[in-house]
Amino acid sequence: MKLRRTMLYLPGNNPNMLLRGWLFGSDGLILDLEDAVSIHEKDSARILVSRILKEGEFGDCEVTVRINGVDTEYWEKDLEAIVPCGIDGIRIPKVEGPETVKAVDEALTRIEKAAGVTVGRTKICCLLETARGIWNAYEVAASSPRVDSICPGGEDLTADLRTQRSDDGVELEGPRRRVILAARAAGIDAFDTVFPRINDDEGLVREATFIKQLGFDGKSVIHPRQIPIIHSVFMPTEKEITKARRIVEAAKEAAARGLGAVSVDGRMVDAPVVKRAQFTLTRAGLSEEVQ
Amino acid sequence: MKTAQAGTLESMDCVVSLTEGGAGNGMTVTLAGASAARFGKAMETRVRETLKKLGAVDVTASVQDNGALDVVLEARVEAAWRRLTGGGAA
Repeated sequence: MKLRRTMLYLPGNNPNMLLRGWLFGSDGLILDLEDAVSIHEKDSARILVSRILKEGEFGDCEVTVRINGVDTEYWEKDLEAIVPCGIDGIRIPKVEGPETVKAVDEALTRIEKAAGVTVGRTKICCLLETARGIWNAYEVAASSPRVDSICPGGEDLTADLRTQRSDDGVELEGPRRRVILAARAAGIDAFDTVFPRINDDEGLVREATFIKQLGFDGKSVIHPRQIPIIHSVFMPTEKEITKARRIVEAAKEAAARGLGAVSVDGRMVDAPVVKRAQFTLTRAGLSEEVQ
Repeated sequence: MKTAQAGTLESMDCVVSLTEGGAGNGMTVTLAGASAARFGKAMETRVRETLKKLGAVDVTASVQDNGALDVVLEARVEAAWRRLTGGGAA
């Protein structure tokens, strides 16, 4: 299980951010060809992102690109420019149903084959930014083996719901719950939408704490200063770390003795619980204890 | 005479302007800005090589630099060239 607590958006026509973005320490990067790029700069951003993907440095970050929506003339050109660079995945905006994923999946397969990239390598994160997209969350999540995550929208979704974003985010509570249920039912990850008020640290802590409790794996990020705040929220507590250590130790002992079942304090522990405990230690920066 | 431009004057970027030249006039490159004095020769070589790879022969290139790395310079040259020869953005 890799850490996906923070996915930082980088404007696709901004060399400074594209080249330095990985230094801010997020778990992932989203090179953005969609909303961050004006309609007159789609071509130059596509070329810039493609070249930086080939020659740039990204450290240990998961590297993804948000392409333009399938309702535009740009999305296939975007894929043709970026998929041959061997990225980890793409984000598709405004997905409303499995048919969108199918069209992109087919294009990805065609481009991967032509470029000599392993077919299926390019994963998909679907952005559900309309009521219809949220309603179809499970069908979207389960529509292709490439789909490894889904994410609710923020501004677009609240507009489609005929409301606006509030400080406590009550208008997004229902969609968030539906997204996490759909993701888990399909066996994939769930990311939360961005927190738009970049100077409201307390608000960000509240929202990150809430979405962590719902079960989200992480959050999309629009400003580097939000990264350490979200990471600290996702940092396991001492109590969680202690419990995880005992489970992981018990699993190691059971494995050493050739036992299939793991027992902690006289209670049997399932394999998914062991896996979760290992992930807790990884999140706490103690991955060496998992080995 | 047809011209095209790509890039910005933001930090680590540059603006590349291309003008199509008359047949047989060859390639001309002029540079100005942050790194032009110290790295002008290397930048000019990079611009010429990028244009050559794109198939350019008779063209005038003007670069206003604000600290662009080679990868950015090449991307902006390519974008300007595609705009010059492809008839517009996007």
